Order: sequence, then structure tokens, then C-alpha cells
Amino acid sequence: MRKSTLAVLSILFIVSWPLLATELKLEVMEHQLANGLKILMLPRSGVPRVVCHIYYKVGSVNERPGITGIAHVLEHMMFKGTRIMGVTDFEADHALNQKIDELMNKIYREKYWKKNGDMAKVAEWEKEVEKLLKEEKKYIIKDHLWETYMKHGGTGLNASTSDEVTGYYVTLPSNKIELQMLLEADRMVNAYFREFYSEKDVVMEERRLSENSPGYLFNEQVRATFFVGSPYHWNVIGWMEDLKKMTKEDLIDFHNKYYVPNNAVAVYVGDFDPKTVIQLAEKYFGPIPRGNDIEPIRTSVPPQDCEKRIIGEGPAPSQIAIWFHIPPEGEPDTFPLSVLASILTGDTGRLYKSLVQEKDLATMVSAFCRPQWYAGSFVVSARPKIEKGIKPDDLENHLWAELEKVKKEGVTAEELQKAKNRYEASFIMSLQSPMTLASRLGRAELNRGWRSLLTDLEAIKKVTNEEVKAVASKYFVRSNSLTAIYRRSLAR
Amino acid sequence: MRDKIKIFLFILSLILLSLAFGQVKRPEELTFPPLKFEPPDPRQFRLNLAQGMRAYFQEDHSLPLLNLQALIHFGDLYVPKEKSGLGSLMAQTLIKGGTKTRTGSQIEDRLDFLGASLNFSVGERVSTLSLSILSKDLDEGLDLFFDVLMNPEFREESLKIAKGRMIEQLRTANDAPSAVLAREFERLLYGDHPLTYQPTKAIIEGLSREDLKNYHRKYFFPRNIILVAAGDFNKKNFVNKINRYISKWPNQTPSFPTISQNFPEVEPGVYFIQKKINQGYVSIGHLGIEDTNPDYFAVQVMNFILGGGSFTSRITSKVRSDEGLAYNTGSRFTYRWGFPGTFSGYVQTKSSTVGYAISLILKEFERIREELVSDAEMETAINYYLESFSEFFSSPITTMRNFAMLELQGKPMDYYKTYRDKIRSVTKEKVLEVAKKYIRPEKMVIMIVGDWEPCNQGDPKFPGPLSKLGKVHQITLRDPLTGEPMK
Repeated sequence: MRKSTLAVLSILFIVSWPLLATELKLEVMEHQLANGLKILMLPRSGVPRVVCHIYYKVGSVNERPGITGIAHVLEHMMFKGTRIMGVTDFEADHALNQKIDELMNKIYREKYWKKNGDMAKVAEWEKEVEKLLKEEKKYIIKDHLWETYMKHGGTGLNASTSDEVTGYYVTLPSNKIELQMLLEADRMVNAYFREFYSEKDVVMEERRLSENSPGYLFNEQVRATFFVGSPYHWNVIGWMEDLKKMTKEDLIDFHNKYYVPNNAVAVYVGDFDPKTVIQLAEKYFGPIPRGNDIEPIRTSVPPQDCEKRIIGEGPAPSQIAIWFHIPPEGEPDTFPLSVLASILTGDTGRLYKSLVQEKDLATMVSAFCRPQWYAGSFVVSARPKIEKGIKPDDLENHLWAELEKVKKEGVTAEELQKAKNRYEASFIMSLQSPMTLASRLGRAELNRGWRSLLTDLEAIKKVTNEEVKAVASKYFVRSNSLTAIYRRSLAR
Repeated sequence: MRDKIKIFLFILSLILLSLAFGQVKRPEELTFPPLKFEPPDPRQFRLNLAQGMRAYFQEDHSLPLLNLQALIHFGDLYVPKEKSGLGSLMAQTLIKGGTKTRTGSQIEDRLDFLGASLNFSVGERVSTLSLSILSKDLDEGLDLFFDVLMNPEFREESLKIAKGRMIEQLRTANDAPSAVLAREFERLLYGDHPLTYQPTKAIIEGLSREDLKNYHRKYFFPRNIILVAAGDFNKKNFVNKINRYISKWPNQTPSFPTISQNFPEVEPGVYFIQKKINQGYVSIGHLGIEDTNPDYFAVQVMNFILGGGSFTSRITSKVRSDEGLAYNTGSRFTYRWGFPGTFSGYVQTKSSTVGYAISLILKEFERIREELVSDAEMETAINYYLESFSEFFSSPITTMRNFAMLELQGKPMDYYKTYRDKIRSVTKEKVLEVAKKYIRPEKMVIMIVGDWEPCNQGDPKFPGPLSKLGKVHQITLRDPLTGEPMK
């Protein structure tokens, strides 16, 4: 029997709202299973539907060169069934899959391990694979999980992979939460990766779509140049060559390591009874054995100590962006940096007023502060007014001038208050959407706990002008920067 | 101590309950408690404000904020060709251009200080001014909202910045293959028509403050607007406050231009747009129907099975899941108020498999026109629409907006009340009938944006040339700045 972990921690959180007569209540209930799976529940009245999300603490930061993109490929493969889903006769299908994998391994060795592999053999094996795949079709129930969710009124049905987190989403009628528990618990332990090779092709098409999106390839290089010595070096989609060579064995290892209850959180927001959710969670997720403890990723972004520049051209708007390294989320410096980004960006921000309104040199400007789990970036950017003959390079000094001004003079009391009000109001507004709320709770829980959403808000409210000036001086220096200049050209 | 006992009893009840649950292994073995949901009645929220302005308001005190939107019956469609782009310009300057008593910066600075957001967008026939604000700032928010709605000044400085942005956007209008395909596919099907007008640099430069003021005067008046709101307010006080703003706002006589319902007869075949990329972006289709068509519900069910129901649909299953040819593929009917929408199958796939992917989609078009769909497909499609029905009312503001849109477009106000019955009444025979009626292979145009050589060459499963799919027309893009063919 599971012991004290069955206890339900019901925590009522009251976010104080000093400007309001009434108080804002955010009632999140927590429950942890003996195997480590955390359940977060936020009941709210409304239409009889429940947002059901499950998040795993795994993303592209858990990859290494050679298997980049695997967290995302795995997210795709999680829809391919289990021992009970997606298949009519598991044993027969499994036997075929073993044969297919054996042949594919031989093909990969010939193609990717050898310089001059025997392509005649490869062709022969490929024919055999094709035959086996055809044979396998009779056992496969196509997209069974997806169909099951849909015919029960599942909406918002999706999954996503980010640098740090992989999430699986569905919104169901209130009486059908059990369906989500059954299917998610089943695929957490029993995922079976049939149709792996055709799905890899799908992911490569997804990568090609990105490549054809103007500016993508340059931005990928900018990121790779900026983040050295850290897994933020590559995009979630991964490098094409790694996708090509990825094996099923890689995938199984990755899944076994990270898809364990002690590395996940399930979040429910909507019209439901928490008692029922806890009972169902105990019933479906409870029997899953706890996995091995997972070592935090070993990473750091070493000090740059030099100025970086990267220049590209292609069919996207001309632009200049200046990147700076900043600490990861939760570090004290990130709060004044967030406030500063808010003061610089947007159509009432400093960059717009200076570069667009007064000087008429740019058409778009922005500033954003993005502290991530293990590293962070602060980026200011602008698009030149080509019509006036302005080039992206011409804007560099103007952007620096704005940053220098902050270092020297800081910001005004009104600007500071505005940034804080915006942060606070947008936090309250984000509570309107159950999907956004589930996503914020789940993601925050996996890093610093969901309460960090509230403590961050409090930290923002305490930021002073002196702190803003100090972080500007500390981080906005050339030896901590990367300048990315992109010039529009139709040569490609 | 008492708390400990409570916790103990609660745990005990949990254990007993979990023992009472039988072990279920497969989703088909699950049974669900009944769930009854009746849609809200629009009449409960409908209000008449001063000067004949209509409204749908719902109080919702769960959070200390409110959302307010004005839906204005005005859009790009009411602007002549020589003024195209006026809608975009108005979208960018209604707020930024200031009012009689406030500059745009004053308005935006103040809203930003309050953490509020005010946005204006211009659609085909409906434009929306929307405000999100904390309820403590309601009075100030209403002041700014109605000032912008009623008294915009469109100051020159805002026009200059907006025109600059629009011209920079024109410069890049042919960059993204997806945008090129969407625009050119409609241009082919609707021809030279208000639905497809594109501004040029000269047209944008010629647009004036006077034009904006004229169009504002002509279309922004109480009887031509429906207000929707939901949030933390007292309905009665809210109405009184709003009436104070609009009670002296004069009405105009509505006058909407007559817009042609004639569209060109397009020669079927392949329409190719050259772009040096590693995939082909494809749309295959023709004009579709309006959503007021009595066959609408059957068409929805049919398209769900064909290519609209994501992974449960035939096209996605075949092209993506079986063959690994694409990330995005399926079919869609688009709808527009008062005009037929489009029907299309779509896919983006590497250049060598463009022909093969198209052939698979065409086969699915044929199949759904020739055979009855299966019982299982019908069950999934119909259950999806029935079980997800309450999503229409997922938030109070969405609900209010949905009701207002029914009224604005002259649709029956019992649309949602009868929705599920109409879905339930769709039969397999009806699906076959509408597939035959609305999917017309003899009219199909296949538009491809991609790299001609590798696309035309194909692969062993579908060796080229693409002319096997129909007569090939090479389309030369226009320079978006001038509207003249590209050199």
C-alpha cells in the first residue's frame, strides 16, 4: 500500500491585488502519487469540459550532438500506439517489426557507417522492408489514439516539444477524464514505436517546411553561434543529418529514460471534481513503477569574452538583432531585465519612440528578455526603413545608444510602474484561458514549482530603477554580445 | 488533530473507492456517466442600447477584468480597387492616429500603463475594436474605447508610419511560399474581384486622411455596430455608462456597394509558380459553398472524413501517416459571409514527391464521391461534432461574439439550439450526395509553388511530367510593389 503520499495537499493561494477592492483567488490543488507523478488540479465552473495536459521534463536540452531532434521525434512516435492501441494483433505485428528493424539496421550500417557501402544490397533490403511494411498494414489501426480522443469530443488535441518540456494535450467533456488517464498512462509505459521510419520522413518534411520559411536558416545559425557549449545550440527540430541517421534503438533508450512518472506532471483545469480525478489518477497512473532518478543536465554557457558578429542574406526582411547572454530563469537579475525589456519594446516603448517615431529610420523594433531553464538571452532588434535607403547596419549605433542611455540614466518612475502594471495585468488576463493556465502551471511545476508563477510576480513588483541600471551595465557590453545582421536578397 | 482524522477518512474513502473500480484495460470498455449540456439562449443576453445599437453582454465575476468588443459592419470588401489597402491602413491608424482630444501616443501610453490592451482589426466585412482591461479601470477604459470608436482623427504622423510599414510588407509579399499560394489560389478562383484586390505602393501612397475619415463616417454609426462584452461589471450600470457615450452619436443611412457574384470559369489543370525551394506547396480545388447552404452540415461531416478531421481523416492518414510524404496535409472548405468559399486539398511535400502526393489526394476525392463512407467513419465524425459542441461556448466573450455574428450575418438565432440535431440527421447517403455535388474533379485546379525541375521530374512512384495531371500553366508572379509582372 502506498503510504503518506496519498495525502491530499489542498492549497488555496490568494494573490493579493493591492489596486483592487477584491482579492484574486487562484486555487490549485496538488496530489503526488507514490511513484512521483504530480497531479495539479484547478477546478472552475463554466462549460462542462476539462483541459487535460501531461508534461514531461524532457526536451531538446536533453539531447546531444548526433541525436538532435530526438525529443520531438519521440513526441510524434507517442501517437503510434502501444500494446493495446493502434494494433489488432500485437504479437504478430511485433514479430514483423523486429524483422523490419533488423533490416533497417543493416541498411543504416551500410549507408551511414561505411564510406562505400554496398548499395545493391541496400536496394535489396529496402525491397524486403517494403514487403514487410505492406504485410504489417493489416495489423495496424491507423492513428487509433487520436481517433479515440476525437470521437469522444476531444479538442485542442495536440502535443509539443520545446527546449525543456514535452506536452500532450486534450480537452474533453467533463465526464470523460478517465479516457485521458487510461490512454496517457498506457502510452507512458507501453508506447510501441511502429511506423517509425515513415514518421521520421514526416519530421524531415516538417524541417523542410521550416527551412522554406524566410529567414529560418539564418536564425538557426544565429542561435547556434550564440549558444556555445550548451544544448540550446540546436533547434528543437534538430539537424537534418541527425534525423536521417536516428535509429529506433536511440528512441527506445530516450523514452525509457525520460518517460517515467517521477519526471512528469499531469494538469487538469475545468469543470470537474478533484476527488474523482485523484481516484482515477491512483487507478491508472498509480501502478506505473517509479523510474530511475534523472540527473540534471550538465550544461553551462561559458563566458563569451569576445564580441560576435554574424551576417547573412536571403528572402526575408532586412533586420539587425543584438543578443546578450543573461542568467537562467529565477535568478535575481532576470527580474529587472524583464522589466527593462517591457520598457524598451512595443509601440509605447523607447525603441519605437526613438527609431520609428522620432528618427523615422525603422519600421519595426522589439526587445525581449528570455531567461530559460539553464541559460538566457536578451535581444533587441529593428527592421530598417528600406524606402528611405536605410540599411540594417545603420541601426546598430542607434540601438546601442538606447541601451547606453539606460546604463547612464536608468528609466523613469512612470516607465517602471507601467512595466510592473503590464506584467501583473497580463498575468491576470492569462488566467482567462484554461489551456494557457494549464500550460503555465505544468511547465513551471517541472522547473521551479508552479508557485514560481506567483513569486516571480512578486519579484517583478519589487524591481527598482537602480537594479535596472545595474543589470543594463552588467549585461549590455560588447564582449557579451552577438550582432546578427540580415540583408534581404532575392538571389536564393 | 481533527484535521488528521479528516485526512485519514478521506484517504480511506479513496482506497475503498479505488477498490470498487473494476480494472479497465481498453478505452472501448469504459463507460461514462451521462452529461447533459444545453447551449445558452442568445435572447438572455441581447440588449438594445441607445441609438439602435445592439449588444450581447454577460456578467462574469470570476476574474477582475472585462472584455469589450465593437463589431462594425465594415471591411475591405466595401473599398474600391483604387483604394485597396484602406482597410489595413485604418487598422493601423484608428488608435494610433488619435482622437479630437487625445494623440495616439497619449491613448496607447495610458492603456499600457493600465496594463490594458486595445486593438483594431479590419476583416472582409466585419471590423473589430476590442478592449481587455482590469475592471477597476472600467471607466477610463470606456472613455478611451468610445473616443477611439467615435472620434478618430487619423493624424498624418500615424499615416506616415503605417504606410511605411505597409510598403515594407509589400516588398516581402512574395517571400513565404505559403502566403504566395494562398493569395494566388484565391486570385485564380475569384478573378479580379474585391475579394482579391491587392494594394500597390502607388495606391498606398495615395490613400489620405480624408479617405479614412470618409469611410469612418460612412460605416461607423450605432445601427451598424453590435457591442459584445463579458466580464466583471454590473450589466445595468454598464449599459447606462455606454448609453451616455452613444446617445448623441448620429446614425447614417447604411449603404453598401453591390458586389459581383460572378466568378471566372477557370480552366482546369496545373498552375505552377516557380520558387527555388526544396518542397512543393500545393492546393487542389475550386470554389465551394456558403455556410448558409442547407447542405452545410453534411459537407462538414463529409470533409471531416475526407481531410478535415486531422489524423482521423483519409487524406492525412494516407499522405502523412502511411506514406510519410508531408507534415501538413488534408482538405478544407473555407467560408465567407455572402460569397462562396473555397474547397481545397492541400499538401507540402519534398519536390520529388509532389506529383505522387497530388495523385493520392485526387484518388481520395474520387473515392469519397464513389463509395459510401463506413459506419465507423460516420460514428467518429458525428460524435466529434456532438461531443465537442460545448466548445462554442468555451468563454463568455466567445459566446457573446458568436451570438452577435449570427445576428450581424442574418443567420437564424436558433443556430446553436438546432446544431446537434442537424449534425445527427446527416446520413452516409447524404455524405455521398454532397461529395458528388461539391467536389468536382472536372473543375479542379492544381496550384503548385515550388521548383519546377525536380517537381516535374517526380519519383519512381509517380514519374513526371506534371502534365499527366492536366495542362500546365506557368504563372508569373506580380511585383507586389507595382502590380506588374515580375521580370
